[in-house]
Amino acid sequence: MGGAKKGDTVVTVGTRKGLFVFHSRDRKRWQKRGPYFEGVEIRHAILDPMEGKTLYAGVTSEHWGMMVSRSTNLGDRWDLGKEGPRFTKESGLTVTRIWQLQEGVDGSLYAGTEPAGLFRSEDHGVTWSSVDSLNYWKGRDKWPAGGGGLCLHTILPYPKDAKRMLVGISAAGIFATNDDGESWRMYDAGIREYGKQKFFDREDAMTCVHKMARDPADPAIVYQQNHAGVFRRNRGDARWSLMEKGLPVAKSTGGPFGFPMVAHPHDRGTAYAVPLVGDYNRVTPKGSMAVFRTTNGGKRWDRHSKGLPQKDAWFTVLRDGLRTDDGDPAGVYVGTTTGQLYASRNDGESWQLIADHLNGIQSVEAGTFGGQ
Amino acid sequence: MVEGDMRVRVELPTGLRQYAGGKSSFEVRAASLADAIREINAQHAGLAYRLLDDQGRMRRFVLVFVNEEPVAHLPPEDVRLRGGDTVHILPSVAGG
Repeated sequence: MGGAKKGDTVVTVGTRKGLFVFHSRDRKRWQKRGPYFEGVEIRHAILDPMEGKTLYAGVTSEHWGMMVSRSTNLGDRWDLGKEGPRFTKESGLTVTRIWQLQEGVDGSLYAGTEPAGLFRSEDHGVTWSSVDSLNYWKGRDKWPAGGGGLCLHTILPYPKDAKRMLVGISAAGIFATNDDGESWRMYDAGIREYGKQKFFDREDAMTCVHKMARDPADPAIVYQQNHAGVFRRNRGDARWSLMEKGLPVAKSTGGPFGFPMVAHPHDRGTAYAVPLVGDYNRVTPKGSMAVFRTTNGGKRWDRHSKGLPQKDAWFTVLRDGLRTDDGDPAGVYVGTTTGQLYASRNDGESWQLIADHLNGIQSVEAGTFGGQ
Repeated sequence: MVEGDMRVRVELPTGLRQYAGGKSSFEVRAASLADAIREINAQHAGLAYRLLDDQGRMRRFVLVFVNEEPVAHLPPEDVRLRGGDTVHILPSVAGG
């Protein structure tokens, strides 16, 4: 199918102008497919993590609406879909972008949108239902938009319990359900107040979460890159706690600034981040690109740059621009807003350029063709 | 309610034709723009979603002309059509 064989690594790369799909047997030599959806922004695309054959793409057409399209042959043919997620007429809202796709523990498909909304499909993206308890949250009218808009950009199901889920909304904060979306609670206590070394005590502080990831060995532990720093929280903790040692600190926010946060697929306490100068200049510090890794749950971060550009690299890595695959050692992939895709096949120790001159990379996802 | 000879022509731009089986135009019976959109959606399910936002208004970057008159700013049900009219649907000059 599409030249890929079971066990190959598949990397989907959403750009401002179309979707690219890369696949490789050895993660050294890559074959490129696409661009698909010419001229259209693909904010996020995933390979179904369970069966490993179906691609889903969140298609943001400024003209013709927002869809989730599906391909069962690695992009040779796309089911363009009939209707995307929608808000109710009474809400006054209209979906303008699909930020995130995520498969649920029960096999349903979730979409996170702009304006912030969570939608669920039980028929592989053909029809969608709104998670009303969150989408029409009582305090919604006070939710502030982040620089990228008011968007629901992170969806983290809890692998051990299909009723639990965590979502991130910029800049409304972190919301969690433990009853399959019947009700939600906010979890912002412990996040740094902007530019200070003071931390919110309130869970409903409405902080600007940028990305969250679950620890692979203990998914109750969550790592977070926030606008105002880097944090971790375990279920039962009263608040988020700092995990910033070794990361460069932004002058403006008081903590490390960046967008992505991903976890290693297997190794407990291992996560990756890409710090930027700060919110006033969202580029790699000193024009020198690095991916930072912690292997001890955030007690210490180390800089890894072998194979990454160390001079005149003035770009951004967006919140979905960093991902790991299922491999051992892990493959790590990072895409830049200037269209470079870098990959590591040794847990992030060293990097190689897979593709250059793509359009601005919005997202990178990795999976195993045919499932793990 | 569509009465009499209310046949109008609807012209689609290149970008929309992939959702309409490759067709570039339709002849439908419609007394309003909303009727016309319903009619073409009945022939190619999903076309209405491409044109209308969640509130039932024309999407922000969709232009509609009835003959030469711009009407995209109006609620589709308020745009009256007469037999022989041509509805032109176009993408607005937007993007980056």
